[in-house]
Amino acid sequence: MKPETLAWIILLLPLSSAVAITLFTRRNARLSATLSVGAVGLSFLASVLLAQSYAGLHVPDGEFVVTSVPWIALEGFKVDLGLRVDPLSLTMLLVVTGVGFLIHVYSRGYMAGDPSYARFFASLSLFMFSMLGIVLSSNFALMFVFWELVGVSSYLLIGFWFEKPSAADAAKKAFLTNRIGDFGFLLGIIMIWAVLGSVDFLDIQRSLAQDPAALGRVASLAGVLVFMGAMGKSAQFPLHVWLPDAMEGPTPVSALIHAATMVAAGVYMLARSFFLFQLASAWPNSLAFLQGISALDVIAWIGGITALLAALMAVQQSDIKRILAYSTLSQLGYMVMAVGCARPDAGMYHLATHAFFKALLFLGAGSIIHALHHEQDIWKMGGLASRLPVTYWTFVAGTLALCGVPPLSGFYSKDGILAATESRPILFGLAVLVAALTAFYMARLFFVALRGAPRSHGVEHAHESPGVMLWPLRLLAVASVLAGFWGIDGALRAVLGPGSGTGHGVDAGWLATALAPFGHAPMAAFMGLFATVFGFVLAFSLYGNSPQEDPLPSKLGVFSEWMRDRFYFDEIYDFLIRVTHDAMAGLADWVDRWLVGGLAVKGTAGSVDLAGRVLRLVQTGNLQTYAFLAAAGLVLVLWAMLA
Amino acid sequence: MNLTLLGPELVLVLGGLALLLVDLAVPAARRHLLGYATAGGVALLCLYFVANHGAGGAAARAFGGMFVLDGVASFFKAIFLLSGVVVLLLAADSSPRLGGGITEYYALVLFALAGMCLAASANDFSVMYVALELITVTFYVLTSFERSRAASLEAGVKYLILGALSSGFLVYGIALAFGASGTMSFDELAKHSPELASNRLFQLGVLMIFGGLSFKIAVFPFQVWAPDVYEGAPVPTTAFLAIGSKAAGVVLLVRLFGFAVPDLALHWEPLWMTVAGVSILYGSLCAIPQRGLRRLLGYSSIANGGFVMVALSTMSKAGSAAVLFYLAGYLFTVLAAFLVVGVLVHRVGKDDFSVLAGLHHRSPLLAAVLAASMISLAGVPPLAGFFGKFVVLRAVVEQGAASHAYFWLAAVAIVGVVISFWYYFGVIRAMYWGGDAPDLTPIPISPTLRGAMILCLGGILCLGVFPSAIWEAAVAAVAGLGI
Repeated sequence: MKPETLAWIILLLPLSSAVAITLFTRRNARLSATLSVGAVGLSFLASVLLAQSYAGLHVPDGEFVVTSVPWIALEGFKVDLGLRVDPLSLTMLLVVTGVGFLIHVYSRGYMAGDPSYARFFASLSLFMFSMLGIVLSSNFALMFVFWELVGVSSYLLIGFWFEKPSAADAAKKAFLTNRIGDFGFLLGIIMIWAVLGSVDFLDIQRSLAQDPAALGRVASLAGVLVFMGAMGKSAQFPLHVWLPDAMEGPTPVSALIHAATMVAAGVYMLARSFFLFQLASAWPNSLAFLQGISALDVIAWIGGITALLAALMAVQQSDIKRILAYSTLSQLGYMVMAVGCARPDAGMYHLATHAFFKALLFLGAGSIIHALHHEQDIWKMGGLASRLPVTYWTFVAGTLALCGVPPLSGFYSKDGILAATESRPILFGLAVLVAALTAFYMARLFFVALRGAPRSHGVEHAHESPGVMLWPLRLLAVASVLAGFWGIDGALRAVLGPGSGTGHGVDAGWLATALAPFGHAPMAAFMGLFATVFGFVLAFSLYGNSPQEDPLPSKLGVFSEWMRDRFYFDEIYDFLIRVTHDAMAGLADWVDRWLVGGLAVKGTAGSVDLAGRVLRLVQTGNLQTYAFLAAAGLVLVLWAMLA
Repeated sequence: MNLTLLGPELVLVLGGLALLLVDLAVPAARRHLLGYATAGGVALLCLYFVANHGAGGAAARAFGGMFVLDGVASFFKAIFLLSGVVVLLLAADSSPRLGGGITEYYALVLFALAGMCLAASANDFSVMYVALELITVTFYVLTSFERSRAASLEAGVKYLILGALSSGFLVYGIALAFGASGTMSFDELAKHSPELASNRLFQLGVLMIFGGLSFKIAVFPFQVWAPDVYEGAPVPTTAFLAIGSKAAGVVLLVRLFGFAVPDLALHWEPLWMTVAGVSILYGSLCAIPQRGLRRLLGYSSIANGGFVMVALSTMSKAGSAAVLFYLAGYLFTVLAAFLVVGVLVHRVGKDDFSVLAGLHHRSPLLAAVLAASMISLAGVPPLAGFFGKFVVLRAVVEQGAASHAYFWLAAVAIVGVVISFWYYFGVIRAMYWGGDAPDLTPIPISPTLRGAMILCLGGILCLGVFPSAIWEAAVAAVAGLGI
């Protein structure tokens, strides 16, 4: 089949499943689930076929396959429904459909018995359609449409249990926070369109290649505005607050959307439009104080700050899903930081491996929560190794991958990021610190939740989850362990890395691949490894003896409270929004009540009404008066005109 | 001399006389049928006239130039005849209420129509005066026709005395103008217009004539009679006053200032603007507290007279064409309103807001026609009133280049429109959301009135949606103006 056809099939299969479930099979839970799982499964197969046929085409680096249907064709504004297939979108396609397929399968078991089973799968299919749309879009306008659709489906899935007020609130929070970022994104797109006259990635890239100063003084501003979109979707500081709350959604949703795919869309978008950020620093006059800071610098620092803050917050959480959520935030910060250090290939590589092991960890957490009847507090777990053996071992694999233990996939991708930051000492130090913290909080989670003696009765009656949930765990564990040897990095480096377009990734033997980091950037590799070991050791010394409560607060004092309370971001935002809201509402109320309602409406109406009533008195009904008025009127006219 | 030029006037006068004779042979119970027959006759005359003279054509004169038939005259005659048809239909429908001697009513309407047609063609002070007196004297009778009703008599007396006063102004003004210029003929005046414009005595005379004509149009400062007379007079008379009498005053103003003494008019911009602006505000403001439809329409007619003066104040061809179009739209709109008022007064006995409650249940047609009329009067697209106000304001704004005062005039006019929304929509609210209606029995409407209402509704819609035909006719009609 032609690659163009395959691309459309991949995109439209989940949409047709969502439509079919919503319109026809809502009553039939099993059929709905089968449709949804089948659609994403076929999409995955089509993606594999597409990857093969793409490889068969021997498309030169920097070129790609594109298929488009005209959509909007106005004077000066042209948008196509265009799909773009290149190694970048192919990698993302395989990750999204592959991980997505496994999570769909897992959901069949996890969501069993839910009264809204069909709605869940319809929403999942809608999400898959939107996500694949982002991946395949060939222009900013279309991408923005899918960007918003992803926001909507995320809203629907976080608020899936909308009868719970916390879930409804979390859905609202996620949507609104994302809207802030999206607003910036849209402004950025409009700004680029206004200057360059196109929203097509290729057109923009070409105009910028011809004339790097084509965006003039708004180059950096446009870059930062577009980055705002990624800030919202990838939950970067200071818009990170929605992601932990999004864990109110069902666990498969957390795994699919809020760990593996959607939150990675921001990073993907940054990689897709990377040419935009490479421009030299140029700010409009009103922002001249930012002179010398490029968009990439902003991105790198935002990513670094997010990575560090989130890792610190993760250290003192006790809800298993929240620990993973903060870990996700932290890893997203890593990816963004890599993009900011001009290595989008490293960011994308980590995105791919992270999708595997974070999905695995979330699904493992889901399996534990499922077994413990929706208990999420790690201090009520413990001793799960023997009771949930498959979950346990796969969880261990995911943990080691996340912490970056060689030769698991996480080691290689994280090493790429550390290597990318090597030239910037502060960011490098920060990245190493985050690596240590990652190892620490994951080891804490491991020792407290999985090891030691059971801390509650629920644990003693825990049973391993059904096969439909365990097989995805096994497969994801395999991927988490082995993804470092699949050549993902090479493929990405060929299109995105420094000097891309010069040659294909070198196909070395597996041993050479395994040891490559120590050769390329020994400093990064050893520091990363050391940080991981340091984190493990520290965690073991604190939690290795299976304590009944967290010993850290007594050691760190108030700082641990800050970490536990997420540095009071929510409270600060809440306060700021309340203050500004109240002030604006008070002002608007005053204006409406006194100026509009009182002075303008009642004042005008009252004076007009009064004028009418007074003038009416002229009409006495008395004939003499009338005659006098008429004669007086004539005299007045004569006097005015002739005098 | 070409007597066919006077065709409509002759037919109307002879028809009126014939009607009085036929009346003797018709039994009292059948006499209202004469009204329908007369209406039919006038309708035929109207059609015949429009078919022959509708296109305007070159000005033709008779009686040594005292009588002229040109585009403006033809346009106005069509308006008069059309309004006569509807007024006669309404009169025929309300004949039981008008009481004995109903045929005389029809005959008087015909005589008044003849006077109006003559006024449209008047090209000489003497013809103008005769035509106006023919109108005014017949209206004295028409206003007080319900002899048994005190309100009707009161209205008649008020109209008689104030009308006599204004006729006094008029005839004194004519005398002064004649004394200053030595001629009664408009054609002669036009030849000497530039030097006459600076003659103080002549100015005094023309100002007094202006006063006498303003009384007919019911604009400031000669507007006080309108609400009382509108309220007291029989409804067909009021309808005739609102459109026929007003249009007669307008055509004479156009004739006098557009053809005879254009130089004078151009110097009197402040007068026109003041009269226009104050009339609009006075009519709009006073209408707000009104609770009776006829009285409300009386004030509304003052405001609409103000709008006509706004257009006249531009003293441009666009403004004069706007006057013609405005009156054409006003014709259908105000007749529609009075048809409804007539039905209400005759069938329910009252026309104040209390009987409007639940009207859309009692008679959807009445409610719809009255609503359309009010919306058109308020000037909401796509009805005739909107386009009328639009062309008027456009003419004013175009003139703004000459003097900034025109922008202020436009602003005042728009403020008046906004205020008028208040009471026009008050009527609609009273009909559709008027709370509990005391009486929900259906109101019967005779088929002829139904037809007349639908005709007016069609006119309101057509002039709003397809204004181009009438607008082009109006533009063609004013092509011969001396301004």
